Amino acid sequence: MACRPLVSVYSEKGEATGTSVKMPAVFQAPIRPDIVGSVHMDMMKNGRQPYAVSAKAGHQTSAESWGTGRAVARIPRVSGGGTNRSGQGAFGNMCRHGRMFAPTKTWRRWHRRINVNQRRYAICSAIAATGIPALVMAKGHCIEEVPEIPLVLTDKVQTLTKTKEAVGVLRKLKLWREIEKVKSTRRFRAGKGKMRNRRRIQRRGPVVIYNQDNGICRAFRNIPGVTLINVDRLNLLKIAPGGHVGRLCIWTESAFKKLDSIYGTWKKASEQKTDYNLPMPKMTNCDLSRLLRSDEIQKALRPPKKQVTRRVLKRNPLKNLSVLAKLNPYAVVEKKLAKLVEKQQKKKRQELQDAKRGLATVDAAASGGKSRPRKPVTKAPPAKEKKEKKEKKEKK
Amino acid sequence: MSADLQWMILRNNSSLLVKRKAVRSFSREPNNLKGLNSFRFNGLVHRKTVAVEPKTDGKGVVLVLRNSKSTRKPSKNYTRIELKRDARKTLSTIRKVIGEGNYRRDLKMAAVRRASAIIRSQKPVVVKKTRGKKKE
Repeated sequence: MACRPLVSVYSEKGEATGTSVKMPAVFQAPIRPDIVGSVHMDMMKNGRQPYAVSAKAGHQTSAESWGTGRAVARIPRVSGGGTNRSGQGAFGNMCRHGRMFAPTKTWRRWHRRINVNQRRYAICSAIAATGIPALVMAKGHCIEEVPEIPLVLTDKVQTLTKTKEAVGVLRKLKLWREIEKVKSTRRFRAGKGKMRNRRRIQRRGPVVIYNQDNGICRAFRNIPGVTLINVDRLNLLKIAPGGHVGRLCIWTESAFKKLDSIYGTWKKASEQKTDYNLPMPKMTNCDLSRLLRSDEIQKALRPPKKQVTRRVLKRNPLKNLSVLAKLNPYAVVEKKLAKLVEKQQKKKRQELQDAKRGLATVDAAASGGKSRPRKPVTKAPPAKEKKEKKEKKEKK
Repeated sequence: MSADLQWMILRNNSSLLVKRKAVRSFSREPNNLKGLNSFRFNGLVHRKTVAVEPKTDGKGVVLVLRNSKSTRKPSKNYTRIELKRDARKTLSTIRKVIGEGNYRRDLKMAAVRRASAIIRSQKPVVVKKTRGKKKE
């Protein structure tokens, strides 16, 4: 339940008079589009007129089934003769000129009861929604240049008698664009409604809510789109047309002030409705960003993890020495050792070979890494043999 | 009422909502930087909004910021800053106002991109000569 701001009152010339009114508590009521929608739907049902097919339709024949054995379907057939109609099927929903399936009855449940509290909840929500510019704009009203939402005018507006003056008021309040929008959406209804006295349709414009009709109705009623209601008889179908919240409302000052006594404030029950007080919201503070920034929540959080950990490609330790070293540091040592051992074994083998062949071994390290042709201990073998020996070694 | 609450009411139910075959739904309200129907970019719901519009005479850009003090007064709701100098200055002004001014910093890049797109569209279209395609 937020603190209630002051709403300035505007004169019929569109200027702010010095006065301001404390916003009635209804405007802080919880906004529940779901309740508004369902209550609106039920309320619309209450204006219906019953329709039904004639009870006798399809039965005004003395048809009888011909039974079996006549090579025709067993549907009842019209008795008599001398006309096309005789022998035709009758009574069934599948028959031409038969009775329809489940003939509509006038005793269908046309009207709906709505719980009083639900009705009141809906209208409180709808009024609250008219005080939020975002919702009014989303409904489609052109309020970009309106001085303030909710729009409250002095009571002098209630004494206007001429439509010309009323138009002047709307122009000064920058609402004429809204009226022009209504005019531009005048069109014929789609469908059979055209021939059922519902030929033309247009958008909804602003609602003017007054306390006392001293001429205001006559002044405003001919302006396209404008609806007029008395505060004492606020109607959800007018405040939330279509079941959607956020219609543009123009209040007169005394009407605005009366809202507190009609709906109550949370501290004070309603004066005009017995035993009623405004609905309680589920959350006292619905501002998510403020909640998240609040001390109570911030204290309970761990510090944010700014470090981004990404997926690491797995490399095979059996092929990749550095990865193997991470897992098993001793592996490096082992490998070095193995290499050393291999070198030593190789050297030993070479020595044995050379000893067998009668060559002096040359230390590969000392001679600069590469093995050179061996120095023969005895006489030099011919060049051919040298080459053969080289080839043999290379093969090994 | 808080922005979050208003968003929950408007997110799927608004005359400005545009749902077509695209995966994302769009929104037509005037102060939406990307036209997306999302909480962050919604132009009606927040106390502070950023919008970038082309100037009516076709040269330059208008940066529109919302006065967080007068959200209930639509006529005084917006301050319009006209930026008519060259593109670089325009973009850096926008960056400064939003970034250093700490005004909806999450919208900085979107505003800069929109401004540069508008400025680009305002440049005269240069027809490139085709290189010897037609022989005869």
